[in-house]
Amino acid sequence: MTRINRRTLISASAVLVVAALTAATVPAQAAEVGVSNSEIKLGMTLPMTGTASPGYNKIPGAMKAYFDYLNANGGVNGRKITLKVEDDRYVPTEAVAKTNKLILQDKVMALISPLGTANNKAIAASVNPARRGVPVLFVNSGFSGFTDTKKYPTTYSILPSYVMEAKIMAEYIKDNFAGKTLGLLYQDDDFGTDALKGFTQAGITFAVKVPYASGSQGAAGVPAGWITKLSAAKPDVVILFGVSSATAAGLGTAAALKYAPQWILGSVGGDATTIKASGVPAGVLYNAIGASFAPATTDATDEYVKLFSDIYAKAVPGSAFDNNVLIGMNSAFVAAQALKAAGTNPTRKSLMAAIDAKGASFASAALIPLNYSKTSHVGYNGYWFGKYSPTGDLKPVDGKYVLYTTDSGSGAVVKSTWKRPAMPAKGLPN
Amino acid sequence: MHKLSNKKRLFIFILLGVAIYFLSGAVDELRVYQGATVAVYVVGIASIILLTGYSGQVSLGQGALLGVGGYAAALLRIQFNAPIWICFAVAILTAALAGAFLGLAAARLSGPYLAGTTLALAVGLPSIANQFELLGGEQGLLFDVGFPPLSFGEDFTQYKWFFWIASLATLIAIFWLQNVMRSRYGRSWKAVRGNDVAAELAGINLTRNKTLAFTLSAGLAGLSGALLAMTIGTVSPSAFPLALSFSLLTGAVIAGVTTLGGVMIGAVTLVAIPDIAGAVASRFGSSEAVTSNLPGLLVSTLLILTVLFVPNGPVEQLHARREHRANK
Amino acid sequence: MIQILNTTLIGLTSGAIYSLMAMSIVLVWRSTRVINFAQAGLALASTYIGYEAVQLFDNYWIALICAMLAGAAISAFIEITFMRILLKHTSSGPIAGVAPIIATLGLLGIIKALITMNWGGQDVVITPPLSNTGFSIGSDTLVFSPMKLAIIVSVALLVIIFSLIFQKTNIGLALRASAYAPEIARLAGVRVDLVRTLGWALSGASGAVAGLLLTSYGTGAFSPESAEFSLLFISGFIAAVVGGLDSLVGAVIGGIFLGLVTAFVLMYISSSLFFIAPFVILLLVLFIRPQGIIGVKAGRRA
Repeated sequence: MTRINRRTLISASAVLVVAALTAATVPAQAAEVGVSNSEIKLGMTLPMTGTASPGYNKIPGAMKAYFDYLNANGGVNGRKITLKVEDDRYVPTEAVAKTNKLILQDKVMALISPLGTANNKAIAASVNPARRGVPVLFVNSGFSGFTDTKKYPTTYSILPSYVMEAKIMAEYIKDNFAGKTLGLLYQDDDFGTDALKGFTQAGITFAVKVPYASGSQGAAGVPAGWITKLSAAKPDVVILFGVSSATAAGLGTAAALKYAPQWILGSVGGDATTIKASGVPAGVLYNAIGASFAPATTDATDEYVKLFSDIYAKAVPGSAFDNNVLIGMNSAFVAAQALKAAGTNPTRKSLMAAIDAKGASFASAALIPLNYSKTSHVGYNGYWFGKYSPTGDLKPVDGKYVLYTTDSGSGAVVKSTWKRPAMPAKGLPN
Repeated sequence: MHKLSNKKRLFIFILLGVAIYFLSGAVDELRVYQGATVAVYVVGIASIILLTGYSGQVSLGQGALLGVGGYAAALLRIQFNAPIWICFAVAILTAALAGAFLGLAAARLSGPYLAGTTLALAVGLPSIANQFELLGGEQGLLFDVGFPPLSFGEDFTQYKWFFWIASLATLIAIFWLQNVMRSRYGRSWKAVRGNDVAAELAGINLTRNKTLAFTLSAGLAGLSGALLAMTIGTVSPSAFPLALSFSLLTGAVIAGVTTLGGVMIGAVTLVAIPDIAGAVASRFGSSEAVTSNLPGLLVSTLLILTVLFVPNGPVEQLHARREHRANK
Repeated sequence: MIQILNTTLIGLTSGAIYSLMAMSIVLVWRSTRVINFAQAGLALASTYIGYEAVQLFDNYWIALICAMLAGAAISAFIEITFMRILLKHTSSGPIAGVAPIIATLGLLGIIKALITMNWGGQDVVITPPLSNTGFSIGSDTLVFSPMKLAIIVSVALLVIIFSLIFQKTNIGLALRASAYAPEIARLAGVRVDLVRTLGWALSGASGAVAGLLLTSYGTGAFSPESAEFSLLFISGFIAAVVGGLDSLVGAVIGGIFLGLVTAFVLMYISSSLFFIAPFVILLLVLFIRPQGIIGVKAGRRA
């Protein structure tokens, strides 16, 4: 053995010591808020109880079903995703208070699918996730304003806006019902008035417009009043831009009063499963036209519907797989891909950067493409139209999916030939 | 009950202000925000104590008056970019005006008729926002009080600023209210509440008396509404639901509807109990249905127990016990 | 023309439902001087029991009887255990006016939470026993169907039965006496406590009918958070106040009045005024008659 040079030994030790000291003083990779070695925490506010809760209160169960499935299959880069859900009873004061709790106390990494336009506006104005750098993923609202990246820099929408839906409906009507008289039954809050603006912008005039106060659709006699007004004006086509309970009430009452125009149902209220569960016979839906951006929840041939409904049936047995469930699980799926793309040490910034850079290519159950980019936080931007079958299932008109896409501004409506790519293996982010 | 001199009371309020100042520095951001919410409820509950506890008129529509104040403040800010204190002042005056009208109509109505009318008001008023474009519709209007002055430093959060503004407004409002309650107006309300025939015979004009109570109470409600708008940064119809009117009434009962002393207890309970109930529910909840509904069940049960066993509020209960012991 | 006729029919049939709830409210008021905010919650609970009865007996009318009995029993139980203690502790002062409101609100919360925990939040359906398809007149359809006819008949029957009980029987007299002057009634030998419980029981039965008929007004689907039930109490209360809280006939008149005016306002002014109309109606009526349409002005107790 060679005599170890003392100088070499000293310099080697010196190097080792310096290396050790430097290694000790370099701070360990600071974990991001809400991210630990084993877990990523997401937070959500929505009405779980109260008059606005029916239907929506299934969304957390749906999202958790997907996240549990994901976690059982390795999670995201080895981390489990946990969803903390808070009930805001659809009141902005509570939405703000609960969001504060999620961000300041539970220290979630990001907010996901907070529900309600007024609630989201309050959260943005008071909690100010933009200033705190907290991503707000996939807001559950069709208000087009949330895609303004200057006002809401950390917010990503996913649902097509109400304005988009109205413009697209207008185009569909021009294509298929030119010259017919039109009627409109709509909710008189931002949901319906935004749509009315879109219709007016697109040059559509209505022979009769029937607004209803949000919440009044359940009162005895109110739906009968709508139908009486509509049938007095006798339009050929009636657009029903309301929530599920209003759509069910309107259709059911129309059938009872033997009033049968050509119905066009808005996507929010047009979920066949929910309508039928409200006691409306399938025959009433038959031949109505509906708009949707996702596959029909009754379409067992769709690979996403099959997988998601399987997962949901195992997680929440006995609960119907309706639109709320499908869209909830889809948002969870897209969020999981975003988190995976955020890297092995995800941060809030890297999460948002990942959506900006790769979001448009994320897999999703919808039949409309995602439109995320560095300059756009717009999710889905279009619809396909279908006709309800005798069993009340929405099937694409003439068996072919024709996608209408547009923006929330004054852009034209464009027919797209985009085809949804195949689902990644087992419905897990790849 | 001790009657403190005005100077002593002023001193106590200033002490409270200083205590709040130090408190705001010592607690974290979430608690500071909750503190601002407590202040909102303190003013709101005080308005009910004035109207119901002192003047004996039951209103189920205080939430609507909060809405009037909130919208007035927001509109002034949006249309004229008025300074915040002016917005609050206008909120108080607008709500007081609404209260005056309501009071004139209400003066002739007895118990349940007044309750029914104010209930209809609470349900109907918020939906007016959907009828006029100016009022912003369901999505609401912004109410931005602006960032705290830069001189306070980088670490001074927005919520701390809310808390300071709300606390100052609350201290002033409660001090003023105590003055009013000790004045001859307060005595005349108590007289009418006790026996309105005798009061009228003694020369009190019932209509004016009741309307004044409504007006002042509405003004306080308007301030509470403006503060609420500040804390959530917006106003919208859904921010002033019927449940808000019920919550304030609940808080007043928990506080002790006839005395101002318990108002903090009522306000803190309104903010803290749902939190605690939620924590308990997530610990013990099994299915989704149970976890979501358990907090509501707990809060309702607590409410009923309180009304059954401490109906006049903790402050009155303590006084009664003290008197009872003194009389033994 | 058909539009006016239909609007009237809508007003009458929806007014009939309001009247049922208004009657429940007036019954409780007349027997215990309390406004029971849990009324619609009790109606909801009775309706769920009716649902279970339909599953068991497969007959709507038997289920209706079951629901009425259940409603009566639950209401009586609440009066005996809960309201008596409450009214004893809060018999004077401004708390007397507020405590029952808060307490019954708390009760409402408990009932709703228990229902949701037991039956879940999703819709359940009680199929209406009669068709809801409107009668035809030539090429037009009336907003009137066999089911709606049954609703009107049921309300009319209940009003007649209750009025007979109140006006013609000793129990009715006792009920009125116990509400206005309990001490004197006791001295006269009236079992005041029993009578008060009876008042609540009758109110519970009436509420159950309101609940069941309300679901049959539409498709028969309902859930704990059904807007129909939340609105039912408010509409019923406003109807009771409009009619004057003192009499059952007043409750019916108030209900019909509210139903008709609301239907016409929604049809001919704007259909988004559903929540504003009742307030305006109430203000106008009470401005002219502060005690309601056929209410009696309260005498001054010197």
